[in-house]
Amino acid sequence: MSALYSEVILDHFRHPRNFGSLPSPDVTCEEVNPLCGDRIRIELAIRGNCVEAARFYGDGCAISIAAASLLTELIAGASIEPNDEVISSQELLSSLESSIKPSRMKCALLPLEAVRSGIKSYKQSMPETTEPR
Amino acid sequence: MDEVFDQLETLKKMERRVAMATLVATRGTSPKKEGAKMWVGERGRILGSVTIGGCVDARVIEVAEEVLASLKPRILSIDMGEEDAWETGFTCAGTVEVLIEPLDLTDTESNLLSLYGAVRAEVENGKRATVVTLLERPSSRIAVFEDGQVIGTLGDGALDEQAQAMALELIGKRVSRTVRLTHGSSVLDLFFELYGPPRTLIVFGAGPVSMHLVNLAREAGLRTVVVDGRPRFATRERFPHADELLIGIPSEIARTLNYTPSTFVVLAAHDYKYDIPVLKVVLQTRTAYIGMLGSRRRGQAILKFLKESGVDPLSLDRVRVPMGLDIGAESAAEIALAVLAEAMAVKTSRPGTPLRERK
Repeated sequence: MSALYSEVILDHFRHPRNFGSLPSPDVTCEEVNPLCGDRIRIELAIRGNCVEAARFYGDGCAISIAAASLLTELIAGASIEPNDEVISSQELLSSLESSIKPSRMKCALLPLEAVRSGIKSYKQSMPETTEPR
Repeated sequence: MDEVFDQLETLKKMERRVAMATLVATRGTSPKKEGAKMWVGERGRILGSVTIGGCVDARVIEVAEEVLASLKPRILSIDMGEEDAWETGFTCAGTVEVLIEPLDLTDTESNLLSLYGAVRAEVENGKRATVVTLLERPSSRIAVFEDGQVIGTLGDGALDEQAQAMALELIGKRVSRTVRLTHGSSVLDLFFELYGPPRTLIVFGAGPVSMHLVNLAREAGLRTVVVDGRPRFATRERFPHADELLIGIPSEIARTLNYTPSTFVVLAAHDYKYDIPVLKVVLQTRTAYIGMLGSRRRGQAILKFLKESGVDPLSLDRVRVPMGLDIGAESAAEIALAVLAEAMAVKTSRPGTPLRERK
C-alpha cells in the first residue's frame, strides 16, 4: 500500500479524523462509487452560513477515507454562501500530497461530492430570504 | 432442524392435514439425529426425512398414510440387523423409533402449532427452547425456554416441573433426546426436541463466489444475508434466494446484525475497504465461523493491519484466510462449496477430512 500513497494519505487512513457522526446534523449526505463500492457519509453542523463541525463515516479505500478525513478538517469554518465554493477539488487533491491517478480520481473526490450534494440540498430546504436593498 | 419452521409454513399453503414424523430415538449408527422430521401430506406431498432416504423413510411414509387415515398417533420402531441392512438398503444398521402423528394445519387452536409459533419467535431472537412431548400421549406437550419459562402443560404440574428441569439440562447440552422419567408410580418416556438460533450465513460482498455460496447455503437450510455497498451488485436478480439483501455502508450494517454461535460470516468482497472495517465489528461477536476470501499473503497483511490498529491478536486467529477446505476449487461455485464445507466442519468441530479415514 505504501509506495503509491503519501504519508498524509496513510496517516489519515490509519487514523481518520472526525470519524463518526454528529448528534443532530443539519446536513447528511452519502455517496457511493457504484462499481468499486466506496461509500462515504458526510454530516455537517451549520451555524449561520458557515460549517461549524463536520464528521464522516464510511467504508472506503485509503484514498477515499483519507480524502474524507482531510475534508472534514479543511471545511471547518468554511462559508456556504451562494457564491462561495466550500472547498475546490484542487485544494482537496493538493492536500492529499500525492499524485492521484485518473482512475482513482473518483475515490479522492467522492467525499467532496457528498459535501456539495448535501449543502445543495440544505440550501434548497431553507426558506428564501429577501436581500435588503 | 432449522428447516422445520420453513417446512411448516410451506405445507400450510398446500395441505390441510399432514402426518408429522419425528425421529425420537436412535441406537447404533443412524444417519440422522433425534429431532429429524418428515412430513407427509394427505395429498401425498413429502418434505424432509428421518434418515437419508432408503427403506426406513419408505416405511415411515406408509405408516404416515395409515396415521392420516386413522387420525391416531403411532410410534414406529424399526430394528435393523446388519444382514437386514444389506438386504433392505439401510446401510447404517441401527434401531430407530419414529413418532408419527396427525396434524391439522388449519386448526387455529392446535397446541402444537401454537407451541411451535412461540418457539420460533424465541429462536429467531437468538435463544434456545425445547418442545417436550409425552410419547404415550403426544397431544400433551410443553415448550421450555432457556430462561426457564414454560408454555403449556403435560397434564400434571409436578410432571411439568420435572420436564422443565430436564429440558434445561438438555438445552445446556444442546441435544434432542428421549428421556425416561419416573413420575409417582409411573415410568414415562418424554421426547425433548431442541431448537436453537437458525444457522445463518452473512456474506459481505455481492460477488460471484457469494452468489454460489448463498444458493448452496440455502439448499443446506441456512438463512442467508448478503451485504454490499453497491446497489448494482446486491440485486434480487443476482441473489434470488437470499433471505435478506442489505445495501449501505457494510461495517455500519454489520453493527446492526444479530450474531450467534450459529452464524457463519464470510468476507467475500476481496477488498480491504470492506474486509478491515467489517472484521473490526464481527471479531467482537460470537460467531461460529469467519472466513475471508484471498490469498495467505493478502490475508496476513490485513490481519497485521488490524493487529496494529489495536484489535486483540488472539481474536485474529478466528479469521480463516485463505478460506475453504482444500478440494482443488478453482471456479466461483467450487470455491463456494469449499467454503461452506469448511464452515460446517468448524461449526460441528469436525476436521473436514474424508469420512472413510475417520477412526
